Amino acid sequence: MAEANVSSDATVRLRVDGLAKSYGTGDKAKVVIEDLTFTVNAGEMVCIVGPSGVGKTTLLKCLAGLQPATRGQASIDGRTISGPPPEMALVFQDYNRSLMPWLTVRKNLMLPLRHLRLPAAEAKERCDSALEAVGLSHAEHQYPWQLSGGMQQRVAIARALAYRPEILIMDEPFASVDAQTRFDLEDLCLKIRQDFGMTILVVTHDIDEAVYLSDRVVVLGSKPAKVLKIVDVDLPAPRDQITTRSLPEFARQRTDVLSLIKRPA
Amino acid sequence: MNAQLRQLLVSAGGIVGAILIWQFVATVPMAGGPLPPFSATFTELTQLLASGEFWSSLADTILISLLGLGSAAVIGVVLGILIGSFDPFRYATLAVLEFLKPIPPIVILPLVVLIYGPTTQMAWFLVFFGCVLPIIMQTVAGVHDADPVTLDTARSYGMGRTEVLARVTLPSAMPFIGTAMRVAAPAALVITVVAGLLGGGPGLGRSIYQAQAGGDYPSLYAYVLVLGMLGLIFQGVSRLAERRTLHWHASYREVLPA
Ligand SMILES: Nc1ncnc2c1ncn2[C@@H]1O[C@H](COP(=O)(O)OP(=O)(O)O)[C@@H](O)[C@H]1O
Ligand SMILES: [Mg+2]
Repeated sequence: MAEANVSSDATVRLRVDGLAKSYGTGDKAKVVIEDLTFTVNAGEMVCIVGPSGVGKTTLLKCLAGLQPATRGQASIDGRTISGPPPEMALVFQDYNRSLMPWLTVRKNLMLPLRHLRLPAAEAKERCDSALEAVGLSHAEHQYPWQLSGGMQQRVAIARALAYRPEILIMDEPFASVDAQTRFDLEDLCLKIRQDFGMTILVVTHDIDEAVYLSDRVVVLGSKPAKVLKIVDVDLPAPRDQITTRSLPEFARQRTDVLSLIKRPA
Repeated sequence: MNAQLRQLLVSAGGIVGAILIWQFVATVPMAGGPLPPFSATFTELTQLLASGEFWSSLADTILISLLGLGSAAVIGVVLGILIGSFDPFRYATLAVLEFLKPIPPIVILPLVVLIYGPTTQMAWFLVFFGCVLPIIMQTVAGVHDADPVTLDTARSYGMGRTEVLARVTLPSAMPFIGTAMRVAAPAALVITVVAGLLGGGPGLGRSIYQAQAGGDYPSLYAYVLVLGMLGLIFQGVSRLAERRTLHWHASYREVLPA
């Protein structure tokens, strides 16, 4: 059923094609991902949902070029990903291990910009606007470990924004923040897609969040991981935490996704 | 503040007590023996401070210690990062390093004196030899301790291999390097003195040797006093430097009182 959803549209940005990943080799090999195929169109917001341990982080590391796929491939604009793609930024699940504790918030944002060799003024402007977008301008001189978990997560997001990627990938970005911050970050996500025209892929285990955020939801399941279904979400834009979530259509969509996950694969 | 003051007073009391015991032992049970009383040593010390020879000897000691320590730090950290990051380097050096590790510098002193004579280079090399191995070992441990998520982050943002080494691996290893430096700083001083005392190298070690050979015990102990204070300064400065560079590390973070 996954193939039916592979679009032949010219605007496909990210294509995952028969991707498989095992850790280890020979007898001890552990197959984590069996066979994944899906696409993400330019400017689209796609969420990947699936139970924890299914292999979501493993998939993202393959997409980010941090580890090779065992079989199949992932490609951006038709070019196979074999190392970290320059047009992509990844926000890690372990945000507190992903931020450099020896650098202030601003210097954490500056670090990936160094090798882009931007003029100083532009680098500064990018950091300023990224910090402002996540509401952390006041914390620029603090160290990550002086901030709360939610603030650290926003620093990690700001670092990705300052890099101005065309494709933004986030791994359970809102898993460990309180409900209020979570809503704020979800809306920030929708806003940056709008403002920067980014293509965004978000992993989450929260089905409501997936439906609220995305144009399409890729539901992963079973072990080793497969695509159970790709659900098109047609909820009106602009989305709003209160009105969108109270639409009957929203309830129907989330029930669709939930029943897929609940059903034993 | 009050508690701090009390602590300071008690410490001062301890020092005064130690001096009094020294004075008593040297003047009553061991009167006329080789141990000069504190008073005579102190008088000698004030005279030393007025002599140019003393100051140049002190300068030699500090210079050799710092040169040895500095070169060991630079070479030790660079080698440690290479060995820790690239397996071929590790396999190539492991056996040699493990073999050299248990050898104290004093064992190779005769050989080094034979090669360099009783010179600054001899003492420098000895300090370097004594300090570089622990610094290499600790740097390797620090490199291995670097968080894989932090390294992946750097790679995912397209940072090249050398950039990752310099901007992520090295800072990650700093806590281990800091510990090694804190231990190595006083050791560098000790080895410098030994190089002078037993190898005839320049500095306070040689001065002590000459005072002993001439039977000038008050001046010998005056040198020992100076060395003791120099040791305290080395330790204090290296602690301060460690605290400064590692202020971000979990063991130094300033937690503001609630
Ligand atoms: N480097 C690795 N080596 C071996 N097994 C791994 C490795 N990374 C992840 N795994 C295993 O792969 C499975 C999927 O992990 P992960 O991709 O982190 O899942 P998710 O992100 O969906 O929670 C887990 O069973 C995990 O133990
Ligand atoms: Mg995960």
